[in-house]
Amino acid sequence: MNSDTIDGFDAPAPGQEECRAPQLRLVARNRGPMTTTIEEFDTLLVAVALEQDRAAFGRLFDHFAPRLKGWLVRTGSTPELADDLVQDAFVMLWRKAAQFNPARSHVAAWLFTIARNLRVDRHRGVFETWTSLDNIDANIVPDSAPGFDARLAAAQSGAGVRSALTQLSSDQRTLVQLAFYEDKSHSDIARETGLPLGTVKTRLRAAATRLRQLLEEYRS
Amino acid sequence: MAHAGGTLASGPSLLVATHVERCATCRAAMRGFEDVGAQLMLDGSGLGLAPDALSATLARIEAPLAPAVAPVVTRRPPLPGTLDWPRSMRHCEISRWRLLGPGMRWSRVRLPYDRSANVFLLRIAAGSCLPPHTHGGEELTQVLFGAFDDGRAVFGPGDFDATDSTIRHQPVVQASSECICLASVDGRLVHDSRVARWLGALIGI
Repeated sequence: MNSDTIDGFDAPAPGQEECRAPQLRLVARNRGPMTTTIEEFDTLLVAVALEQDRAAFGRLFDHFAPRLKGWLVRTGSTPELADDLVQDAFVMLWRKAAQFNPARSHVAAWLFTIARNLRVDRHRGVFETWTSLDNIDANIVPDSAPGFDARLAAAQSGAGVRSALTQLSSDQRTLVQLAFYEDKSHSDIARETGLPLGTVKTRLRAAATRLRQLLEEYRS
Repeated sequence: MAHAGGTLASGPSLLVATHVERCATCRAAMRGFEDVGAQLMLDGSGLGLAPDALSATLARIEAPLAPAVAPVVTRRPPLPGTLDWPRSMRHCEISRWRLLGPGMRWSRVRLPYDRSANVFLLRIAAGSCLPPHTHGGEELTQVLFGAFDDGRAVFGPGDFDATDSTIRHQPVVQASSECICLASVDGRLVHDSRVARWLGALIGI
């Protein structure tokens, strides 16, 4: 992919963009060939919304679909159901792309909520029983184009969540994941971790409180 | 957090959804927990899909949309003033108001997707009080209209309360208006008779 960076600082042939080309190559080389930032994924989804860009959709699919499937299976879906839900989620992502607001969310969180809602609906046997937070916010606060500050805040909130998660002890993190995102009962968790049931309950409450505090700190 | 993860039982989940509609702070917290879920998704290892998964998905995008199924319009009892039923309750079947005692009415809330969810509405006249009581399991309450004071705090429209067997209280509805609350009581396989018993115990029959 980067074979052309070697001659990136050579004098450009007449007619080429003289200033921009070397600079662009330098940025690409610094970032490495495979890294795409959260913001770039958001941009891809915006391209899906505005231009029905299939290549952008393909890149989102290649990056997120295996991760989504992994999460679905880890949290209790069969691989067959997970395959189905991944396709459903990406069809939904295509159809609802215009509703994506990068000031409020990022692609991973958006996809996560789509897949979560689809799975709950599938389980309930009905369609769209969830009320999206975006709809609620949009009804209360008049929507506006994402300003720079809002965009920055959204990016910081993503970084904040990663940081909040790293500030939990690994025990706390495991407990939170098992209880709230994998729907394990307290007694299942006690069996899996070898902790007494009472300890699981106490630690879980402490972990949830701590995580909520950390998230609030990052938001304020 | 379990609501954000999609793992909360449907009764409590409805209560949380109803509350989140009214509360910006909890909406922000929900977003935080969804971000956490997304991060846990990204942190875990991925699983491979069939080689044709992307092309199959693209083919489905090309396909015409299935005609939308018209939502089932359910009959709902009127609410006082200009109050609307919460959006999260749009799938619920809500029975007519039934007399429970002097100044007290209740209505059964059924979730079409989970018949075992134990959710109901209480409508208590201004100035009335419930007898002191405690709860068998966890009870979640969302105030839709009016306000009550149970000695611990005053709960007004949009406020949310969680009680369990450790809390014994006597809610008193404020004199200015009647109070309507949505409540969910713990337990998945609860029959009407148990609701009747619970409500019976509540009003001291």
